[in-house]
Order: sequence, then structure tokens, then C-alpha cells
Amino acid sequence: MVQSILSAKDVVIKFSLRGRVLTAIRGASLELYEGQTLAIVGESGSGKSVFTKSFVGMLDTNGWVESGSIVFEEQDIAKFKGDKQWSTIRGKKIAMVFQDPMTSLNPLRTIGMQIQEVVELHHHLKAAEAKKRTIEILTDVGISSPEDRYSQFPHEFSGGMRQRVVIAIAIACNPKILICDEPTTALDVTIQAQILELIRKLQEQYNLTVIYITHDLGVVANVADQVAVMYAGDIIEYGTAGDIFYNAQHPYTWALLSSLPQLGIKGQPLYSIKGTPPNLFNEIKGDAFAPRNPKALKIDYVERPPYFQVSPTHYARTWLLDPRSPKMDPPETIKHMREKFVRYSV
Amino acid sequence: MGIPVTPIQHQPKPVHASKHSGSLFNYTLKRAGQSLITVLIVITVVFLLMRLLPVEGYFGDGYDKLDASQREAVLKSMGLLEPWYMQLKNFYVDLFRGDLGTSIIFRPQIPITEIIGPKIPYSAYFGFAALLMSLSLGLCLGVFQAREKGKWFDRLGTGYVVFINAVPAAVYFLFIQLYATQAFKLPILFNKDKPSSWILPAICMSLGGIAGYAMWIRRFMVDELNKDYIKLARAKGLSNTDVMFKHVLRNAFVPMAQYLPTSLLMTIAGSLYIESLYSIPGMGGLLIDAISRQDNPLVQALVLIYSTIGIFGLFMGDVLMAVIDPRIKLDKKGGAR
Amino acid sequence: MTTKKNIEILENQALFELANYDASESERTGYSDYSYWGSTLKVFLKNKTAVLALILLGVLLSFTFVQPYLPGQRDPNEINLSQETFRQLRNVKPTSEFWFGTNSIGQDLWARIWRGTRTSLMIALLVATWNIVIGVIVGAVWGYVRSLDRVITEVYNVLNNIPTTIIMTLFAYMLRPSISTMVIAMCATGWLPVSRFVRTQVVIIRDREYNLASRCLGTPSTRIITRNVLPYLVSVIMLRFALAVPGAIGSEVFLTYIGLGLPLSTPSLGNLVNEGRQIMMIASMRYQLIFPSVVLSLITISFYVMGNAFSDAADPRNHV
Repeated sequence: MVQSILSAKDVVIKFSLRGRVLTAIRGASLELYEGQTLAIVGESGSGKSVFTKSFVGMLDTNGWVESGSIVFEEQDIAKFKGDKQWSTIRGKKIAMVFQDPMTSLNPLRTIGMQIQEVVELHHHLKAAEAKKRTIEILTDVGISSPEDRYSQFPHEFSGGMRQRVVIAIAIACNPKILICDEPTTALDVTIQAQILELIRKLQEQYNLTVIYITHDLGVVANVADQVAVMYAGDIIEYGTAGDIFYNAQHPYTWALLSSLPQLGIKGQPLYSIKGTPPNLFNEIKGDAFAPRNPKALKIDYVERPPYFQVSPTHYARTWLLDPRSPKMDPPETIKHMREKFVRYSV
Repeated sequence: MGIPVTPIQHQPKPVHASKHSGSLFNYTLKRAGQSLITVLIVITVVFLLMRLLPVEGYFGDGYDKLDASQREAVLKSMGLLEPWYMQLKNFYVDLFRGDLGTSIIFRPQIPITEIIGPKIPYSAYFGFAALLMSLSLGLCLGVFQAREKGKWFDRLGTGYVVFINAVPAAVYFLFIQLYATQAFKLPILFNKDKPSSWILPAICMSLGGIAGYAMWIRRFMVDELNKDYIKLARAKGLSNTDVMFKHVLRNAFVPMAQYLPTSLLMTIAGSLYIESLYSIPGMGGLLIDAISRQDNPLVQALVLIYSTIGIFGLFMGDVLMAVIDPRIKLDKKGGAR
Repeated sequence: MTTKKNIEILENQALFELANYDASESERTGYSDYSYWGSTLKVFLKNKTAVLALILLGVLLSFTFVQPYLPGQRDPNEINLSQETFRQLRNVKPTSEFWFGTNSIGQDLWARIWRGTRTSLMIALLVATWNIVIGVIVGAVWGYVRSLDRVITEVYNVLNNIPTTIIMTLFAYMLRPSISTMVIAMCATGWLPVSRFVRTQVVIIRDREYNLASRCLGTPSTRIITRNVLPYLVSVIMLRFALAVPGAIGSEVFLTYIGLGLPLSTPSLGNLVNEGRQIMMIASMRYQLIFPSVVLSLITISFYVMGNAFSDAADPRNHV
């Protein structure tokens, strides 16, 4: 059985914006297993980034964790305050890779120095050793002639190369968890595959647990062991990649999958989700997706669904799993996928 | 507004060079050429404009006492009766030999270089002291404001910056001279043998600079703080202090560097207000005297000196920027940062 | 989950029925009644200092224009004589008769300050207007006419390289002091930053992706200009306008100080301060410096604070 490495429970994160309070994360829970790859999917603004930023204490200064716990190595890091406590975790145990490599590097310092800075900080190495280690890392992330590249500036690198440097910074001190916030969104399609492959390689080499934040279900299908689906600041369905792709339970997950061209059925128009996500300034009652769900139940407007267990690895927050609910037929695409699932598992 | 010594009034402008790729040397050369052309245009235009002024300006108080032929003789001796292009040529020839002409009214018949020469050290001393103070205090103020953004210290600093920027310098200079001299028993006028008389003018001169540097470094730092690479630097595990000094301040200082040469050079030119208020025998007070006495050649010479210094300062600033910012040489797009 | 009411709800089987789905309702979940100018106003009004500055300015400005029509006001250039001795009432300290006292030749300082405020504001507003008119015209030509781009850029570089104060001083020196020459001197370079800004905006209208996208979707140019460009343009122009006022008042004080100011028969804040300066060493006459200085500072600070608050408010990044 795989071991849990980080466990978030009922996390509520709020932001204050010009005197108004916005609830960005509304009691989300998550279990992260060692050595596995978790993908968090959801549309923009669903809180994917904010949620994971709270694992490294990098919420913007106007945001805070209101309640809930995030347990990592027997510590509740949700209660952490100030740089001092975070310095034992951030960059050292949990590292992050950001979306846009073009702006993620300091334009005025050589990339060597930007990697070496971390090595020196967390490993307390002398400059010469740190430089040696830096060059090793550069080689690991697939940068050729690293000695020459060491003293170059970011603007002398292409986008893909820069992302490799950002990844190098992230793995420089052997973190346990690597959070990749849409690491390929800003890159060319041809480069995307290379970066994904690189992360997979490093995951084995450094024994990393990886969290991908993405809205690209193609990426998810490629890399993920576990998938968490987020909507309006909550994880509404959580399971293995197989659970989510072949046995989805939440109407939002259905809608999400149905809108994938790859899964669509030939000859039928592609599904698209109507409406817009809710405004997080307003209090959300019941199931946040209900207003956009043509087949919502009355109770969806009244009471928020709890997590129902589908299988030991699979949970979903939808009243459809309540025994009293009417039997609801999932859309064609999902039925199609379920049939496949049954076929495969037999 | 108003005094040339306050160094940072311009918007930070994109560096002209960035449109053209090429080496630092080529850039410097191109930029030097541009500055030289500007200087020549300014000299020519100022000289020609001065020729448009009524000739009375060249006689001082004696104009009414002279008859027409005497006037003509005076003008002729000054070379003012020749066609304008000949005058311009003569002016350039003289300039090339380091001759800025002679004063007519302020100190008649004395070469302007001789008038200005002994005044430079005073302006330079004060300017240098003011520069040191404004740079150190201004940067400290701005850095702490950026760190404490939104808190009371930041507000206090912003209040100071607003006051200094909004209220004309002459007004608060007057009140400082009026009340600070009484409160601290300091002399009201400058006396080069009395060290205590150096204090107030130097402080006054630095007030604008402090506000300017504080405002810009705060703005640049806040800009930098919102950038992605700062997020990554924090995600690396760097402490706030390290992020502030190793990344933010360093990068925020780059656009500031552009103005350093200008303020350094402008110290020679001195502050117009302060020098005349405290009777400091420097260059700034001289311009005011020259204007009030309508000494055309002296005004012309001073205007040329000030503009040349200004143009040279901007040139040096751009070159300095190109040296310290590795992106500028290769960036093909304009001023992207 | 555990409250009694919740349990009751959960036991209600009727709730487990399909709800009525309303497609328009789904759009409303993310509905926002955002409007650019509305939000700008809201953010501006939240800044208490700025609102205070606005009120102060409103009161001062309207008073400046109303003051001459109030009963019992004196002419600012009238030399007041004593009724008994028929001598000039020189340097009279503030009394119920002369609220701000009189100056060294017996003119009423109260009347002079308000007339001076009017003069200075008029100069400042003229300068601000001209800077923007010239700046917008030059900037638009600069941006639109591609063949002129190089020429205007070079001219701009030359002008921008010369210290502003020097150009202004030179102009003021060559033209004899009057309101119009002062305005000309101050406008000599004031339009430069505006034109540069407008030029950048024009280039953006041409080339920014969201405008290209909008155009591809068939949005007429007029709509792109009014919706995408004008709000930003207007807010920056308002900022420039507001900041030009303290700038111009400062320049006026400066020009007066170096001896290129308006004649005393045209009172302005500049020459009132300068007049006060000349006698400031006599403690009993300092009111002649303090009163104009205070009025002047109130006006410049208010404009400055208001301009900045407005530009903050107009920045969509500050809108919730």
C-alpha cells in the first residue's frame, strides 16, 4: 500500500480584497501518496493554484488559511507563520515550478547563480562545491554544455530551456514534493512533451511526489496516477486516473470529460458547459455546480453534498450518490467510457 | 518642479538603443553621436535666439548715454553687426578655444570662464554633500516603504514625498530658512569660514532628492515585487530579507542607475534657489544674478553649460544602464523589461 | 452537517427530485455588474484623503470665483489710505478690517490672495490644457503617420535631452513677462510626455492582440477606441492634467523668484510669495509670507493628491 505523504483536510482559504472577503477554497480535502503523481484539474479560477500555494506558505499577503489542516511530516503546516517556519519546508521539502518560464527567472542574474543560491541555502555547501552541484543539476535537466550555460543570462535561453532551469532550481535540494503549476501551458506543443518526459525522468531519479496543476486533460491522462477535480474552490471528485476517466460520478466531471474532443463520439456535436463559474465573493449554497447543471436536484440548491465513497480510492461530492437520489443516466460519452472501463477491468 | 538640481523628474524612459541590436561599443558610439548633435543644435538655437533680443541688452546701464554712432561702434567691437552666420561661426571658433565670451553687465569685460571658474567648487561641495545625503536617505526611505507597503511608515513616507513634490520648493525652502535658523541657532547666510553655515543649505538641497529617490525606488521595488521571478525566489526558500536585497533591490536599482550621472553632474551646476537664498557664491546664484541684470552673454553661457551638463548626464545614464543590464544589448524590441 | 435542521432537510425525500433548470440562471452564477467608470468612482471615493482634497479644492475654487462679488470686498490693487491721516495703511497686521492684513504699500492682502489664486490657477489650467492639446495632436500624428515616426522621434530625443527648466527659463527670458508669455514658456516642453504617451497608445490601438482580435470579430474602430482605448487614455490625461497644475504653479513661483515673473499689478501666488519673502526677516510681517504660502500649498497638494488618487482608481487592477 502506498503511503500518504501530505494530507489536507477541510482547508478554507480566504482573501481580503479592498474590504471584501472572498472565499477561494471552501473546505477542500486531499490525500497525496508518496512517489505518485497527482493531477489537479479544473477551469481557471477554480482555486487550483491557491490551494497548492498554501502547501508552501506562498499565498499572497492578503490571503490566509482560515481553517482546516495540512499535515506534512507530522506537522500541521497550515498553522505555520512567518519565514522561519516555512524555511524548513519551502524549497527544501516542497518545491514549485511556475507556469511561465519567460518571467520566472531573474533577468539580471546568471542562471548558474540562481540555481546555486538554492544549493548554498539548503545544503550549506561552499561556493566551489555548490558550483559543481549546480552543474550536475544542469546536466540532469538536460542542458547541454552546462559549464558555458552556467554563466549565461536568462534572455540567452529559449522558453523550453528556461523551464528546464526553473525545474533545476526546484529539484536542486532534493525536495520530497514537486508542485508543477501548469508547467507546459506557456510552451510550444513540441516542447511540452519534452518537459513532461523530463519531469517523469526526474521523478524516478529523485524519488519525487509530483503535483500537476493543469486544465489540460490530455496532460492528465499522460502523467497522472491520481486525479483531483476542482470546482469553485472545492475538490468535488477525487480518485485514481482510471476512476476519474472511466467511472466519473460528479456531474461536473461528466461535463468536463464530455467537452474533450478526444473522448467525443463521432457525428455528435461536442458538448460545452453552459454558464460561468460562481462569483467567489458571494456565499455559495449547496452544490456550487448546480446552477449550471441541467439535471440538478432540488437538494443541490439547499445543502452541500458530503464526500461519498465510491471505492477505496474514489470519492465524490454529489448527491447523486445518495441512495435516495433518482437513478441518473450520465451523458453518452461517459457511458461510452464506462463500458470501456468494464471491458478493461474484466 | 523648477530647480535643475532635483535629479529625478523625468519619467523613466525606455532606452533608445534597445531598438537596435549590436555591441555595447556601437551603442555608446551611436548614443554619443546623438548627444553631440543635440548639444550642437542647442548651442546653435540658443545663440540664434539670443540674437533676436533687442540690442539694448548688450549695453548695460550706459545705453541711454551713448549716441547712435557710439552704439554702433560698441556693437561692432562685439562683432554683432556681422551677418548672423558669421557671428555663429565666430562663436563656435571661440567656443572651440574654450572662450565663452565676456560678461557685459554683471562684471563688465571679464571673461565668463573666469567668472564661473571660482564658483564651481562651492556648487560642487554642496552638490556632492546633497547627493550623498539624498542617495543614502532616499534609498533607505524607499526600501523601507516598499517593505512596509501600506503600513504607517509607508504612509508617512508617501506624505513626505507628496509634500515635496506638490509644494513649490521655494516655499518650503523659505520656511526652513526662516524657522530652522532660529530653532537650531544656525547662521542665516552662508559664510565659508563658518562650518555651521554649511548645514542648512546642504540639507535643503537634499530634500527634493530624498523624495525623488524614495519615490522611484519604492515604485520600482513594488513593481519588481509583483513579478513572477520573485514568486520563484520565495518558492526556493529564500527569506524575505534575501529576496528583498538580492533580487528586488538589485533589479529595482537598474532603472535608477539611469539618473545617477545626471544628478552627479548637476551637483556642479548647483541649486538655483538655495545658492541665492543663502548667498552661496556658486553657479546657481549666478544664473539668477545674470537674469536679473539682463547680462545676455552670461545668460547664454550659463544656459549652454546647464544644457550640456544635462545632455551629457542622460548620455552617461543610458550607457551605464546598458553596462549593468545584460538584456539591453540583445533585446530587439523597444525597452521591454 | 449535524445540526437538527440539517437532518430534517436531509430526511426530506422530496428534495431528491430534479430541480427546474433555467439556462439563464446558469449565466448568473458568475454575473458581475462591473462598470469601468462606476468602479473608478467607487475606488476613488474610498480614498478619504483624496475626497477631502476634492472637497477642499471645490470650496477653494468656487470661493475664488465668488469672492469678488461678495459685499465689502476691496480691489486687490487699491492702495488703502487711513481715513484720518490719509497715509497709506502699510503692513497692517490682520484685523477685522483687513482679514489677512495689508502689504508694504497698503493693498489688501485678502483680496490680493484670491485674485492671485485666480491668476495662478488660470495660468495653470491654460498650461495644462495646452500641454494636453498639443501633446494629443503631436502624439496622434506621431503614432499614425508611419513615415513621420523617425523624424518626430529624433526631434523628441533632442528636446527631451535638454533640462526642462532651462528651456522654460530661456523662453521666459526672451519674452517679456506677461500671463501669455508665461504660459508659452511653460508649454514649451510640457507637451512632450503627453505626446509620447499618446503615441504609445496609438501604436497599441494598432497592434495590441486584444484589439486585433476585437477587430477580427468585426468590432468597428470607433467602438474599439471608445471601449478599449479611451478609458485608459482619459484617465492618464486626467492625471497629467491634475499634476500639471501644481507643476505650473511651481514654475510660476520659480520664474517669479528668478525675476521673470508677472508685474505686481497682476497679483499671482508667485509674486505674493516673492513679496512676502523680501520682508520675511521681520518677524511681525511674516504673515505676508505665511498666508499666500498656505493657500498655495493647499491648492498644489490637493491637486497632486487628487490626481494620484484618480489615476489609482482608474487603474482596473485596483478594481475588485
